[in-house]
Amino acid sequence: MTATKILRLVVPCTALVLFALAWWAATDALRLVSPFVLPSPGDVLGGLARVSRGYMGSTLLDHLIASMSVMLSGFALALVIGIPLGVAMAWFPLVDRLFGPLVAVLRPIPPPAWIPLAILWFGIGLSGRTFIVFVAALVPVLVNSYVGVREVPQNVIAAARTLGANQRVLLTEVVLPAAAPVIFTGMRISVGVAWATIVAAELVVAERGFGFLIMSGYRNFEAEIMAGGMLIIAAIGALMNVAFLLVERRVLRWNAGDSRDV
Amino acid sequence: MSNSIVYRDVSMTFGRGASAVQALSATNFGIGDQEFLMIVGPSGCGKSTLLHITAGLLRPSTGEVLLDGKPVTGPGPDKALVFQNFSLFPWKTVWDNIEFGLRINGVDRADRSERVAKYIRLTGLAGFERHYPRQLSGGMQQRVALARSFVMRPRVLLMDEPFAALDAQNRTLMQEELVRIWSEQRAAVLFITHAVEEAVYLADRVIVMSRRPGTIKEVIDVNAATGPGHWRDRPLNDVASEPRFQELRHRVWDSVRSEITTHEDA
Ligand SMILES: Nc1ncnc2c1ncn2[C@@H]1O[C@H](COP(=O)(O)OP(=O)(O)OP(=O)(O)O)[C@@H](O)[C@H]1O
Ligand SMILES: [Mg+2]
Repeated sequence: MTATKILRLVVPCTALVLFALAWWAATDALRLVSPFVLPSPGDVLGGLARVSRGYMGSTLLDHLIASMSVMLSGFALALVIGIPLGVAMAWFPLVDRLFGPLVAVLRPIPPPAWIPLAILWFGIGLSGRTFIVFVAALVPVLVNSYVGVREVPQNVIAAARTLGANQRVLLTEVVLPAAAPVIFTGMRISVGVAWATIVAAELVVAERGFGFLIMSGYRNFEAEIMAGGMLIIAAIGALMNVAFLLVERRVLRWNAGDSRDV
Repeated sequence: MSNSIVYRDVSMTFGRGASAVQALSATNFGIGDQEFLMIVGPSGCGKSTLLHITAGLLRPSTGEVLLDGKPVTGPGPDKALVFQNFSLFPWKTVWDNIEFGLRINGVDRADRSERVAKYIRLTGLAGFERHYPRQLSGGMQQRVALARSFVMRPRVLLMDEPFAALDAQNRTLMQEELVRIWSEQRAAVLFITHAVEEAVYLADRVIVMSRRPGTIKEVIDVNAATGPGHWRDRPLNDVASEPRFQELRHRVWDSVRSEITTHEDA
């Protein structure tokens, strides 16, 4: 291990430990802030323990299933519609002219702004929340699919055509694999956005899930439940991102940064 | 020698109205069956345009290109194209890059393996079959591009400054390798270069193009100067010092330079 590698590992870890120490000092040791404003690390651990035994009639697993199932179904729907639509818009001028204006108009609307309309259309159940996640997750995956296809180098397409590729071969065997890294990045961004959006939706309407958990902590003046819920959301978000990066690295091995010795 | 490619009044104008750019003015020419033709000319004079029209990637504004008497209507494996760089499929291994054209044209598996293996051997890529383009040097990548074209056994090999991005040693090696493969598998070659020495060394005939909108300004018959035993069949180092080689190189260079300087005066 080189010195720079050690530094790259040691510095962030030290920073994290120092940050936790400062937190502990401000709350437990010196009592600079009220526990209602900022609970101590010990309180938060206690809160996490309480949640995991069950809080407001739902266990941790219930909350997890509630949030994840909505997020994953909305995300899956976004992929199924977003990737083909983005690719088709980039590849067929007619499709671009048909859907381009619609996308341009809807794109700037922040996902939470859809929440009231989604409730109006689909009610406060699973389908309403799935719709919100879908709308939020659709944008990055659609845009990246579009950009990814548009940015396939002309040389690569021309080379395939001179080798005898017809339109179908060109799209499935050349354009899609060439655009895959950009599409993958869009998917990874989409997962993050979907996760953030489902939590936001649950803040407004839900009877379980992590957004609901935080909101309940707020309503019951239990700051340690709020903070505990936020920690879990952060951990799951980070885990999904890492998982995606790992899959990406496996699937797109050819694209690995410095890979002279794969 | 019969002509394999014939240009009839081929010209090209990009865009319309005020923003129209004429890249190529009416060009008439014929390329021999197994001729090695080098094209030189000032930057922007329409060399790549001419090559893309020949490949069937661009439709000329006027005129037509005939390949063995039949008009070129679109791209296809009988007209292979090698670019300056960045045209390999980066998600495919060396083997899969070379195999791609055969596979999509329905060549059966056994035949494919045999042919891919042969061209991997010919281009000195043995041992790199499972590498991805990113893992190869620029010279190796161009070998893959050459193999990917030659494996299709094209009637015409179109090359757009294929060695321009290589260093001097690699360029010389690749030139010799190209000649070696081409002598085994004759095809008409249309090769664009900015390097006058490369043009004179490899060509049967050198075409000098005039400045934009380009057309054929001068045709220099290298074969007439070399006599039997072409320069390209010997190492470049040995022929570069020959007076006749140097004389021809000067002649081509002067012809190109007069196009560039008149351009600057204009
Ligand atoms: N697709 C295009 N649309 C508009 N103009 C184009 C297009 N392709 C080429 N041109 C123009 O046509 C002219 C000839 O271009 P071309 O690429 O054929 O030149 P070239 O001789 O290959 O130049 P170089 O030696 O620099 O590669 C240039 O002025 C260029 O800007
Ligand atoms: Mg060019």
